[in-house]
Amino acid sequence: MEADDFALMDGVKSGRSGAFEALVERYQRRLYRVAVGYLRNHEDALDAVQETYVKIYVARESYRPSAHPFTWAARILANHCIDRIRHRRAVPEQSLDDLPDGRPGRAAAALAAPDEAAPERQERRELGRTLLLAIDRLPARQREIFILRHFGEMRLEEIAAARGCALGTVKSSLHRAAAALRDHLARLDPALRRAEEEAS
Amino acid sequence: MSPLRPPRACRAARERLALHYYAALDAAEEETLERHLGSCPACAREWDLVKRALDALDPRAIAPLEPTVDWGEFARSTASRARAAAARERPVLRRGPWGIPAAARLTALAAVLAAALLALSAWLRTRTEAPAPVDGEPPVTMLESAHIIEDRLGHQGAARYLRDSRALLLNLVGPAAPCRKSDGHYDITLEKEKSRQLLRRKNLYDGDLLTLEDRRLATLVAQLESVLMEVTTLDDCATARQIHDLRERIETREILLRIDLMTREMQRREHVV
Repeated sequence: MEADDFALMDGVKSGRSGAFEALVERYQRRLYRVAVGYLRNHEDALDAVQETYVKIYVARESYRPSAHPFTWAARILANHCIDRIRHRRAVPEQSLDDLPDGRPGRAAAALAAPDEAAPERQERRELGRTLLLAIDRLPARQREIFILRHFGEMRLEEIAAARGCALGTVKSSLHRAAAALRDHLARLDPALRRAEEEAS
Repeated sequence: MSPLRPPRACRAARERLALHYYAALDAAEEETLERHLGSCPACAREWDLVKRALDALDPRAIAPLEPTVDWGEFARSTASRARAAAARERPVLRRGPWGIPAAARLTALAAVLAAALLALSAWLRTRTEAPAPVDGEPPVTMLESAHIIEDRLGHQGAARYLRDSRALLLNLVGPAAPCRKSDGHYDITLEKEKSRQLLRRKNLYDGDLLTLEDRRLATLVAQLESVLMEVTTLDDCATARQIHDLRERIETREILLRIDLMTREMQRREHVV
């Protein structure tokens, strides 16, 4: 599978017909989940994925097989998303919390699936908001590493290569992120809270 | 040691729970952990909590709209957008009137010229002694020529980016069109789209812009990017307050004035052909 990815990237570099389309199809959904993890907005995430592929195609000749193609793509996407978030901070969007008048915030509305039944939608929305809040509160490095592993399904070695840090840092960040998320959910979910109380 | 602090074996096991979840432990570690979880009810409960927390973070909860996307169509449009961007970046790759790519023709021409120069140089060497290099005028190497060309490409990209951004900012600081959807708001749909296009183009110029030696130009380009980013984050029907803040930012930083000065300076230096 991995050798396939490198061969595919070779095909993209040499202009083989259909190679770039295959590369887009292979990674687009994983990259989209990573982008949603960062940006919390469906349209922005799609836009970020497209931007990433544009950059990949334009710079395809500079690709070196020392990095896995997905690692390379994820690094470009992560940098794009981080830039985007940095610029957003100048004019913060309504992100996770509802507006004061009770209407849903922009990002929450943007991520709501339109075809769900009302109770399911409500439940999913509440769970989604809880999770997004929990991820938002992680320190930057932990958050990033967690997103790349959980939503990008990247291997730990790939993450270390993509973010330029040691494998040990990836492991400890993942442990801390998972512990923080578990603590957050335990505080909010009655069933988990009960289990917590029983344990203590 | 505090009575609440778990034993060392438990601490070691809990530090591995996330890695266990992602199947990132080696076989020996996995076996040790499984054995510990089987014999320690407290750690087994902890594993259950971690697993439930991570299971709850299903990508479907975070990205519920993913199934609604037509990924086949998305891939096609992404590929065509990337190709269009690459074609804009490298116009020399377009095919000429005889179906021969322009780049191929240029390469062939360069090869012929190089061969001619080599032949001429060999002929001259047979007839004369090689002249000593002139003091103060070192020969221009291939590397230096490439650097000059890169710098020129960077300036050309920056000049186009500044020119188009200026037109957009003039629209924004001028009288904005009222929004039909809501009173007292301004319709900036077109400006937002234009900003997105410019940002995409800026991303494409990035490689060239990195080679710019003129740091003032690079700084102006970076500041312009942040203003364009801000435009893209506004609502389609922007409030008067948002427009006011944006104009204030453009005016405070004297961005339009600096674009004009920079453009004139670049023209004066004849960097832009």
